[in-house]
Amino acid sequence: MLEYITNYLNSNLTPGQAGNIFWAVVYILLIFAGVSAAVILMNWGERKALAHMQVRLGPMRVGPHGLLQPFADALKLLLKEDIAPSEADKMVFWVAPLIVVVTAFTTFIVVPFGQTHAVTDMNIGILFMLGVSSLGVLGIVTAGWASNSHFPLMGGLRSSAQMVSYEIAMGLAVISAVLMTSFSGVGPFGVGGEGTGSGTLSMIGIVQAQQAQHVWFVFKLFPLGLIAFGIFAIAMVAETNRAPFDLPEAESELVAGFHTEYSGFRWSLFFLAEYAAMVAVSSIAVTLWLGGWLRPFTYWLSGSGWDTAFSLFPGLTFLVLAGFTFFNTVRMPKHPALKIQTVGLGVFGAILGVVGLLLFVPGVRERIQDIYWFSIKVAVFMYLYIWYRGTFPRYRFDQLMKLGWKVLLPVGFGVLIATGLIGLSDQLLEWVKGVMHWA
Amino acid sequence: MGVAPLLRKVFMVDLLKGLSVTFRYQHPSQVCTEQYPLERPQIAERYRGLPRLNVNPETGETLCIACNLCASACPEHLIVVESERNPVTKRKEMKRFTLDVSRCMFCGLCEEACSTDCLELSQDYELAQYSRDGLIFDRARLESGPENTVYSR
Amino acid sequence: MTDVTKSTTSFYEEDTGKTGTFLDANELILNMGPQHPSTHGVLRVILKLDGEKVLGTECIIGYLHRGVEKIAENRTYTMFNPYVDRMDYVAAVSNGLGYCEAVEKLLNIEAPPRANYIRVILTELNRIASHQLWLGTHALDIGAITPLFYTFRDREEILKIYEKFCGARLTTHAFRIGGCSYETYDGFEDNVKKFVKFVTPKIDEYEELLTTNRIWVERTKGVGILSGPDAIALGVTGPVLRAAGVKWDLRKAQPYACYKEFDFEIPIGENGDTYDRYLVRIAEMRQSLRIISQAVEKIPDGPIMAKVPKVIKPPVGEIYHSIEAPKGELGYFIVSDGSTQPYRVRVRPPSFVNLQALDKMVRGMLVADVVAVIGTLDIVLGEVDR
Repeated sequence: MLEYITNYLNSNLTPGQAGNIFWAVVYILLIFAGVSAAVILMNWGERKALAHMQVRLGPMRVGPHGLLQPFADALKLLLKEDIAPSEADKMVFWVAPLIVVVTAFTTFIVVPFGQTHAVTDMNIGILFMLGVSSLGVLGIVTAGWASNSHFPLMGGLRSSAQMVSYEIAMGLAVISAVLMTSFSGVGPFGVGGEGTGSGTLSMIGIVQAQQAQHVWFVFKLFPLGLIAFGIFAIAMVAETNRAPFDLPEAESELVAGFHTEYSGFRWSLFFLAEYAAMVAVSSIAVTLWLGGWLRPFTYWLSGSGWDTAFSLFPGLTFLVLAGFTFFNTVRMPKHPALKIQTVGLGVFGAILGVVGLLLFVPGVRERIQDIYWFSIKVAVFMYLYIWYRGTFPRYRFDQLMKLGWKVLLPVGFGVLIATGLIGLSDQLLEWVKGVMHWA
Repeated sequence: MGVAPLLRKVFMVDLLKGLSVTFRYQHPSQVCTEQYPLERPQIAERYRGLPRLNVNPETGETLCIACNLCASACPEHLIVVESERNPVTKRKEMKRFTLDVSRCMFCGLCEEACSTDCLELSQDYELAQYSRDGLIFDRARLESGPENTVYSR
Repeated sequence: MTDVTKSTTSFYEEDTGKTGTFLDANELILNMGPQHPSTHGVLRVILKLDGEKVLGTECIIGYLHRGVEKIAENRTYTMFNPYVDRMDYVAAVSNGLGYCEAVEKLLNIEAPPRANYIRVILTELNRIASHQLWLGTHALDIGAITPLFYTFRDREEILKIYEKFCGARLTTHAFRIGGCSYETYDGFEDNVKKFVKFVTPKIDEYEELLTTNRIWVERTKGVGILSGPDAIALGVTGPVLRAAGVKWDLRKAQPYACYKEFDFEIPIGENGDTYDRYLVRIAEMRQSLRIISQAVEKIPDGPIMAKVPKVIKPPVGEIYHSIEAPKGELGYFIVSDGSTQPYRVRVRPPSFVNLQALDKMVRGMLVADVVAVIGTLDIVLGEVDR
């Protein structure tokens, strides 16, 4: 039994590949905890970052600098009365948030946090993720329908129409990236060679293809990779109903959105699912275009010296955060009511510092590399989400649909065709030569 | 469309400009929130807060001569002044002075009408009370002036 | 026209004479109720929709009616001055200016030049403050949540100047009949000059955030078009009228206070849509800054209060006097019967008249545009309902 558990650690496979159920469950629990932690952090981070963009402070009182605010919100939502409309379809009303949450979390099975750090590496990984996130739309429609009120119904229909339209654009961008995995050439403009490489839909395979081709796909076939990445970046914001595409859930519009009739814990499930979906689509973007867990300049700055230098980053990040926390602890106002908060902030800073120092230990340093770079890239995307929300006005619904169908779709097709043509260019050249020779 | 506007549209220059504005304001020095009650706001000298009855600093007697001008100047008739004639000095002396703060609009007409320097609008703005009757301030409260509420939590 | 609130038959039945169920009718009556995040107060709008398109609207007001005009009949002229601020609570100084000037006209006295200059400076500051609040809330309705905070932060400076001058930020009661009540405080001119220097780049920043932003342009161009002849027919005034192309501003057409001595322009728009109204208001803010910088240089010395009797008893008569408030033409019609209390004070609020243009502007637009149009009309319910 113990052997079963420990012999996985020496293998270099994902739990799915190794067939080890124990570790698969451990990984699932870790991912669940990690995503929940990300959602909590995102809640706090959104309120503070948005507040600073709006020249104000955000939550400051609940914990030191509002750090305990997400927990207070969660507690409040759990204790709130669960109201269901009397005419609502009880079963469907109960099931709708479940569908959304389950699909949002299921997509994380194939997300690779490292070379072997995924629960399983399905060979249709990316297809699985897109498919399961499309199932989330079902939850939204059922939520709108089950509320038995025409405001949520219209909101739910609008939201689902928006998500479906932008999924098409997302899909096209994804296909372009997957096409690039089948190139065997090296460098931003290298395509074929003696034969093309093996294309793959598996998430780990896509990152390994980027590693083999020595370039992140966002720079591949410049500017095609960048345009595909741009299309995906816009479509993913629309997919998750975030600003500037958040008309279905905006407060100042008449139709209040599909989650109007939900309160308390059920509403928090929608909220959780939204943030988890944001992390999921950001993971897709990071894996497909930004090199997943690869550190920057894997090829150009290679060698053990550079490896060690880059491996110091995780520890440094935590130490910088700890330093920032201590700086703020010192700057806390000297009011008797804030004594506990100051102490708490200091303890938090100390914990961050200890974690940072731990991450300098050579054994830990190597193992944490992949997860760290992946998380940093996803965190950048989360910040972008908050930044967009703070800056841009909202699109009207018809303009939103026009953007999805009339702008992103043709451009997506164009990028796909161009990538395909260029990718097959050497074979195409052969064929043309053959034809000319024949002619 | 010309070349320059087309390039601006493709490269989303207008959106990037907006993003740069919000990015610039994130610096903590740009925050303009005052964390009340830890930091109290700076009140101007002429601030029209709660009226205050001034007393003679040396003798401690009130400066009010019960002329009733403030009561007649108040648009809402919120001031009630009761006086009695002092048999010794043959002058009116103010006995009771009530002001109903619940409907006071802090317009300052009573301060302008006062013939002595007695009624003055102070800088007191923390006037919350626990009951409706608590909002009818009497002479003692009006003479004591602004009390800075202290928050313990 | 039947009372929409009481009828139980649908518009479909009334219009076509056929009975049907909710599903048969191709119209939906939607109630944008008094409590709504973007109706700028307690305004109830009943929309008749065909899917997403608006077929007609009906505004139901009166939720904020406080009987200000009736109160006026029971107060003396000086006592009524503080009540006037509470109508358009966003731009309280303009209200006070209009009322004081109307009563001064009735009494046939003129405020001294120094008082006039101070009045003009404070009123133009008020215009900037009102337009900043408008910009913040309008952008919030359209979805941009940050300009609100920027405009409020800049507006704080104006409110601080008011606080130092007259003691209150919102309901200022800044002017008296015959002039100003307070002398300017030490450093008033410096404060105002510093403010002008502070706010000029901020207005550029609002423009950087919004004017060329493609999402903003798409949301506001072509939305809520009100042509010039329509605007004049409906009696609309203020920036709404000027954006429709009509060059009419009471500060130039019927100058009051000392506006004749300043050099400024009247910005006008072309199409009369929401984008033009936005541009006109931003340009108006800049012109106000121009007036303020000119005025603060040459404030004359002298008394601040004209010779006004202690008890104001205007002769029997009536007068209508209007000023260019930030929202439009604000008019006061005062009937005096020779006593200390006016016989009738009738206020012509600009928002009330502008609101009547809502129906015309919104027909054929989508539901999301209704919110934008209500925002662009710049209504304040305190004024509409009084």
